[in-house]
Amino acid sequence: MKKTIFTFLSFIISLSIVSAQKGIDFNKKYAAGGKLLMSVDSGAKNVYYSSIPPNQPNTYFNYLPEVSNLSIQIYFRKNINTQNYRYTILVDDKPLVVNKSIDKTQLKDVDMPDEVFSSTSLGTFAIKGKIITVLAYSIEKPQDIEKSVFYGKIIPKAKITRIAKLAVTNEGAKYSHLFISKSKTDIKFSEEDLQITVIKNKSDIDYLYYISIKDKKTDETILEPTPWQYGGYVEKHEHIPYLNIPKRVFKKSGEYEVIIRPFIKDHEPPKDIERYVTRHTLSITLEEESYSKKDLLVYGLIICAVFGAIAGALLTYVKKKEVKKLVQQYKEKEIVELQLSSVRSQLNPHFLFNALAGIQNLMNKNEIDNANKYLSKFARLTRNVLNNKELVSLAQEKTLLDDYLQMEQLRFGFSYEIKTNDNLDLENIEIPSMLLQPFVENAVKHGIASKNTEGKIEIAFSKNDNNLVLTVADNGKGFSADKKHEGLGLSLSKNRISLLNSIYKETPFVLAINSSDAGTKIDLTLTDWL
Amino acid sequence: MKAILIDDEFSNLENLRTLLQKHCPQVNIVATAKNVTDAVNAIEKHLPDLIFLDIQMGEQTGFDVLNLLPKRNFEVIFVTAYDQYGIQAVKFAALDYLLKPVDIDELKTAVSKVEQKLVTLSQNSQLDFLLQQIKNPQPAISKIALPMQSEIRYIALSEIIRCEADNTYTFFFLANNEKLLVSKSLKEYADLLKPNGFLRTHQSHLVNPKFVKSWLKEDGGVLLLTSGDKIPISKPNKEVVKLALQQL
Repeated sequence: MKKTIFTFLSFIISLSIVSAQKGIDFNKKYAAGGKLLMSVDSGAKNVYYSSIPPNQPNTYFNYLPEVSNLSIQIYFRKNINTQNYRYTILVDDKPLVVNKSIDKTQLKDVDMPDEVFSSTSLGTFAIKGKIITVLAYSIEKPQDIEKSVFYGKIIPKAKITRIAKLAVTNEGAKYSHLFISKSKTDIKFSEEDLQITVIKNKSDIDYLYYISIKDKKTDETILEPTPWQYGGYVEKHEHIPYLNIPKRVFKKSGEYEVIIRPFIKDHEPPKDIERYVTRHTLSITLEEESYSKKDLLVYGLIICAVFGAIAGALLTYVKKKEVKKLVQQYKEKEIVELQLSSVRSQLNPHFLFNALAGIQNLMNKNEIDNANKYLSKFARLTRNVLNNKELVSLAQEKTLLDDYLQMEQLRFGFSYEIKTNDNLDLENIEIPSMLLQPFVENAVKHGIASKNTEGKIEIAFSKNDNNLVLTVADNGKGFSADKKHEGLGLSLSKNRISLLNSIYKETPFVLAINSSDAGTKIDLTLTDWL
Repeated sequence: MKAILIDDEFSNLENLRTLLQKHCPQVNIVATAKNVTDAVNAIEKHLPDLIFLDIQMGEQTGFDVLNLLPKRNFEVIFVTAYDQYGIQAVKFAALDYLLKPVDIDELKTAVSKVEQKLVTLSQNSQLDFLLQQIKNPQPAISKIALPMQSEIRYIALSEIIRCEADNTYTFFFLANNEKLLVSKSLKEYADLLKPNGFLRTHQSHLVNPKFVKSWLKEDGGVLLLTSGDKIPISKPNKEVVKLALQQL
């Protein structure tokens, strides 16, 4: 056996020497994959060398359709132990040498641009019409076999042998094989169909072929170039290349083109690439109208969910914004309330001390019970100021005014009356506290203080439609409306009313002052308050 | 009626004694006390019917006096200068209190109320309730004492759906469909319950927001409660109610 191989090899070598003399350009070397370089006929055109199919990392494909003679050389870096290397050469499917070691004596140093390599020739071959395959590996890493294919034939077009359709029904998965006419296949997708399977003919260079699909109408690629799968189809104990294409790849009914082309060094593809390309038209019909009720329900639900989510997100956004706005309003309100409380507390020192003086007078006159009575009133007034409550009931406001006026009566002998409308629920209607007191104080101070017992103050709480009207009238000497300097109490009250109006926007407080020689009347209308 | 006066200021004790002697002669002052220890001793010795109890007593409080007593079979009228500390709990327990300086009319009213109550006196449940509230200061008070004609009812705030004014009376509508009439104004209960989240939607209505189902736009704003009641929202309260419901 050994002898046979030896003889055979020497025959080839002698033959190749003859071939070499037939014009191989040894000055020009092409990368041929792995550690191999090659030289070809000096006049050879279209040398597609060392293509690496993306899913075949250790395979190098050299397509040499117009080359007659080929020299293959192996190059080792100096640090590599060449004794570990073994190589096998196949011509078509027949082994020429198998697991042969490198002949050390044949290794020569070769100067390459950057470093010096050890090199030897693996032989010179007539390649036309043949396929030469070189397998090389180191016994240190026997799994890493570098495979260089020198392809001296015309790469054949791929053939689609079958197209099958997979449907999933209640009974299980069901394949139906579709008849393939020469260039076109009609496919009808019903709701049960899942995918189609394209099956290619088996060849030694399946790894070279890629399948893609484009929409013929829009020229849009709907399936990018994809390598084949194995494992699903076996014929004659061989795995047959196939690809499953899901139904959803086809968005619409229409014509699609399946394109199968070999991968030949993609940065400089052959100009006549079309001769290698297989094209097949799929005429797809999607039976959209035949969606089952269940599908409709599912899609309906999905659509609802999507819209719901969008609406929900919008709502949340709007609500968040609204809450933000409300919080802002709330803050503004708090600021106004702070201002209000400071205004409220400014109202009072005037009469508090006068009241104390009144009580002092009673004590000095030994009117103990009266002193007690006025002291209680004084305490109640003071508490009202200190408590700084935002809202009091009309009844509380009435008591406060009563207390206040009775204390002032101690000093001035006027008469007063507080009238309340029967249809007002005094206990439960609330108004901002100390609302009328400054006006009443004004009436006492500027109105009737000088009139003694003839002075009269009338206070009224009344209802006008939904408005609450609070009135303070006196029969004093009045003041001119255009008078520049208003009393401190009056200007503070106006300030306070405008602050209140910024809180109670929908129920504005309206102040009307009428003053003449015959007296002054103040109407404070709380619009829509009731 | 045996009474003990408790206050840490001498002049207050003397003043209250003078007013009681003059205006409430039926009150027999058996002792006065100026601190917690003296007060506890005096109460255990004299077993009074009534004590006048100052809330703020230096570092200690009138509540400490009550806490130290194993048996509290007497009535209490709290007396306080300024109604802040503890007064909220006193109001929730529906107990009586006077503000200093004491108003003679209010004093007379309070004493006569005690006289009416004295008939059936064993352990004072309102005091137990009060001390419970003081002891466990929860973020929000969970129960309120409602004085009824013949009893005190302790109602969980979460059981109150809403309150409605009837002049100086207030109706309480409870989750168990009970309707209680209490002789205090809605305004008073509004002041007590608003800090606990209750909403004053209208001059006659106070609502527990827990029972609000929805805001109906009819008649310018109506709250629909889970009980089916429709409660009007008056204009001045709209903003506040809206804000409160939004923040829930």
